[in-house]
Amino acid sequence: MNQYFKISTLIVTLLAALLLFTSFDEVFNPSPWGENEDYLFPRFIAGGIAVLSLLLWFERDDKGKPTNFMDLLPGLGLILAYLISMNTIGFYMASMIMFFAVIMIYKKPEETKDFWRVLLIKLSISAVFILILYGLFTLMLQVRLPRGLFF
Amino acid sequence: MEFLNYFDNVFTVYHIALLVGGTFAGIILGALPGLSPTMSVALLIPFTFHMKPESGLILLGAMYTATVAGGAISAILVNVPGAPANIATAMDGHQMAKKGLSREALHYCFISSFVGGIFGVFILIFFTPPLARLSLEFGTTELFWIAILGITIIATIDSKSVVKGLLSGLFGLMLATIGDNPVLGVERFVFTDHLEGGVNIVVGLIGLFAMPQVLNLMEKYYSEKNPVLSSEGHSSLMQSFRFVFSKFKALSIGSFVGSLIGIIPGAGGQIAGLVAYDQTKKVSSNQSNYGKGEPEGIIAAESANNSMVGPSLIPLLTLSIPGSPTAAVLLGGLLIHGIFPGHEIFISENTAPVVWTFIDSLIIAQIFMLIIGLFLSRHSGWIMKVPDNYMAVSILVLAVFGTYSIGNSYSDVIIMVVLGTIMFFASKAGFSAVPVVLGIILGPIAENNFLLGKLIGGARYGDDWVIYFTTGTINITLIAICIISITYGLYSNRKSKRAYK
Repeated sequence: MNQYFKISTLIVTLLAALLLFTSFDEVFNPSPWGENEDYLFPRFIAGGIAVLSLLLWFERDDKGKPTNFMDLLPGLGLILAYLISMNTIGFYMASMIMFFAVIMIYKKPEETKDFWRVLLIKLSISAVFILILYGLFTLMLQVRLPRGLFF
Repeated sequence: MEFLNYFDNVFTVYHIALLVGGTFAGIILGALPGLSPTMSVALLIPFTFHMKPESGLILLGAMYTATVAGGAISAILVNVPGAPANIATAMDGHQMAKKGLSREALHYCFISSFVGGIFGVFILIFFTPPLARLSLEFGTTELFWIAILGITIIATIDSKSVVKGLLSGLFGLMLATIGDNPVLGVERFVFTDHLEGGVNIVVGLIGLFAMPQVLNLMEKYYSEKNPVLSSEGHSSLMQSFRFVFSKFKALSIGSFVGSLIGIIPGAGGQIAGLVAYDQTKKVSSNQSNYGKGEPEGIIAAESANNSMVGPSLIPLLTLSIPGSPTAAVLLGGLLIHGIFPGHEIFISENTAPVVWTFIDSLIIAQIFMLIIGLFLSRHSGWIMKVPDNYMAVSILVLAVFGTYSIGNSYSDVIIMVVLGTIMFFASKAGFSAVPVVLGIILGPIAENNFLLGKLIGGARYGDDWVIYFTTGTINITLIAICIISITYGLYSNRKSKRAYK
């Protein structure tokens, strides 16, 4: 078993132990109304996960796929910012900024030529994409979304 | 043959326009990752308020049929099932697309969906009374074992490791237990306010399938070339028709299994597709090609998920029990039009014409789905021309939109992103999203029926309530299939590992 699988198996085992402990917590600390069966089904599931997580240590596997954090981290950061900003500036504004930011940050080398032209085109595409979504879902389908600036 | 009397009601200009519009929009919506048939039908219900009942139901039925088939487009072209029903389609469909055979894959998908769909609607028309009686035989314990059977099937489908497949399924079941206990109403595993409502099925589906895809596209944007998924194919439409009909075994298994699962309350297209895929694989002479672009896999899965549509309405129309999540939403559509399911609706002068017109429209909807689907499959390659960065952010924005609109809940968006991010890293360690999603879907069915079965068993047998779960022909049959599935999965794993060595 390689290092990657050792780490993932350890995480699964710890998670299994946590689930098992949580689902039996009621047995250790019974409520004033006596023991009930709120956690009965989860207990069976947690027990199954615990047994299988132990079996996982005996699994022989291929090599795990490495993660390219260098290219992934900007995206994860943008997603986090998108989630936080959505409630303040609204779904559509946050989505437009997110759309624009992703296509500006993730770009092929050939796209670096003629910066201002590329910037203008991408800004227009972002605006058109969001306007289509707004027309389709808010005006036509009347779906409620988090509101904020402008929309 | 009463159904023949109501075709005139379907063939009006207005209803044909509704069918064409509903089918076209349904295929496009179905193709968008995260926009499930359930959500599409739910979104459409308010628009049917001002329509006559038969017109509203025709539109909803067309949308239901088309979104299930349309979900295969994104499953094949971007490896993100547009609906849970298309999970099995993605396994071989995307592999075919990777080989530059996406048009063939889409042809097979729409032709087999049409065959399965027509078969399913005729099952609905001709076999409603006996099949409704059969579904009545399924009590709490039988439904519990059906859910467990779904989990064990995962083990055989996740061919790399039965242990990881089962673990993923159990994690899915565990996720489904978050929130209120279905019988006693007590909150469980609510570590944060965001988890108060539990994990919604569609939220789980979008998170587990769309988010890893978004992160994958970002991670590999510079290091890997875009997957070449050309919309070009080599076969003509006629060749595709001939090919699909030459795979009679896969078509038959798919249509039959889909219809059977459709009438079982709550089971739905995702189980129909996966069970048909699994069963076809087991009897196929090309077993080793499954998961690598085997057309039989697409034909079985797609004929099954569309043949499920008609029969899923049998328990709905006769017993008010939906055969699938989308059928549950459709129940809302029936009720707002004043149609209360039961034997009465086929007898009453007011409701019988509406219901038979609706059922007849499902046959016509299948024909439009085939024509429009085949037309769109010729032009769906444009999806692949969208650069990865545009694709990633579009999927993300649509996933967020889809998640939020389910329950107008910001917490759902957080859950979707967190689940998807965890799944992205878990997939690198060999875990699959499919069993987790099935666990989330089957969880409430399993737990509800487990607790109710235990109550009934306790009343009958006292402390030996387990006897209630292990007696009866259907229970024993389902348990036996579970054991056989796990044993077969372990054997297959061992065999493939030996072959690998």
